[in-house]
Amino acid sequence: MYAFRYHHAGSIDEAVRLHGSCEDPGYLAGGHTLLPTLKMRLAQPSDLIDLGTIDALKNTSTGTDTLIIGAGVRHNDVARMTHPIPALAGLAGQIGDFQVRNRGTLGGSIANADPAADYPAALVGLGATVITDRRQIAADDFFVDLFETALQEGELVTSVAFPAPRRAAYMKFPNPASRYAIVGVFVAWTASGMRVAVTGAGARVFRVAAMEEALERNFSPDVLADIQIPDDGLNSDIHATPDYRAHLVTVMARRAVALANA
Amino acid sequence: MNLSGEYRINAQRDVVWQALNDPAVLRQAIPGCETVEQESSTAFTARVKAKIGPVSAVFTGRVELKDLDPPGGCVLSAEGKGGAAGFASGDARITLLEDGQGTLLRYEAEGKVGGKLAQVGARLVEASATKIANTFFSRLDGLVAVPETLPPAAAERSLPAGRRMPEVFLERVFIALVVAAVGSLGIVAAFLQ
Repeated sequence: MYAFRYHHAGSIDEAVRLHGSCEDPGYLAGGHTLLPTLKMRLAQPSDLIDLGTIDALKNTSTGTDTLIIGAGVRHNDVARMTHPIPALAGLAGQIGDFQVRNRGTLGGSIANADPAADYPAALVGLGATVITDRRQIAADDFFVDLFETALQEGELVTSVAFPAPRRAAYMKFPNPASRYAIVGVFVAWTASGMRVAVTGAGARVFRVAAMEEALERNFSPDVLADIQIPDDGLNSDIHATPDYRAHLVTVMARRAVALANA
Repeated sequence: MNLSGEYRINAQRDVVWQALNDPAVLRQAIPGCETVEQESSTAFTARVKAKIGPVSAVFTGRVELKDLDPPGGCVLSAEGKGGAAGFASGDARITLLEDGQGTLLRYEAEGKVGGKLAQVGARLVEASATKIANTFFSRLDGLVAVPETLPPAAAERSLPAGRRMPEVFLERVFIALVVAAVGSLGIVAAFLQ
């Protein structure tokens, strides 16, 4: 690890101000991606701004049809919470291992935008809204590309607003070692229609219009059986080929619908 | 690691060659590129600051041209060093085709990684390399499709004596590809499998 300056931010405003005044700064949330990167000397920020001491990022509020979760809330807290979106708790409980869930945060996960992270599927699947220190961004517009979001330089995610769906579920085929999603599918029957969001398969989370249309007609696993997404541009690595991932999307989507109906 | 792709650049080959012959244009097109230097008539080095996700590292790549078959294509041999991240090397076959008013470029690359990179796996190598290559080609397309953005000298510029246009084109493009691949290799080390 290279040397860097460490800052405790007391408030959201202070964190953003510090970020603007440093040469090559970074925000530190749970640190479970950033710290291994630093340990391997694959990044050399001049300053790290620790967000862990900002209480305003840890607030959670439940409305009748919306759940707002602070960006600093950890995966284990979301998994254990009693709240109106059980599918979200189920998803959070499947992220990484216990240590990762005990440190990793919602804001850190989505700002990093790993193509195989779980939370992006929930945000897009539920049609959530990302709230930052300066604006609100629809989840559909938030995830731009591989590790790339709509966030501007220094912009800080403060919370995410999830509308409660009628039914929803998340199913993933995890890498057995890392628990990253080789393919994960979040299916939701929302007030604005059906949504099917896929993570792990492409450079970023994406929706499957053909599956959404089929589910509009009948919210049943069987209507998805013959829908295969094209494997063009899907991820390829030592764990799975694009073709295999395309196949898994259909399998996971069917299981997710079955779970949502259970 | 195997990489392949096909891109259509929306300009005639002459225009593309001229643009790619200008290091200033190239530096604009390669994401994070700091320098491109010519070592000899068939060898180049490039220095790139790659940033994808949490990883930000400086990589240097060296490219050598082999099996020249202008203007149809060639094989390019490359190696890159990313400091603590490790190293990568590989060969790529490039094919160039005229396509109406545009230029169709195809490449097939085969590479291997070593050092820390090889230890921690390859979950994100291909996706990252593809992203960087896509960025390069879309920027390049933007640069050559709008000639006004080129330095005036680029249009007038002539090739070094004794060098043929296809060679120059291939070298320049492949530097970008290698840099893309090498730069992206650094990313894997950050994501324990």
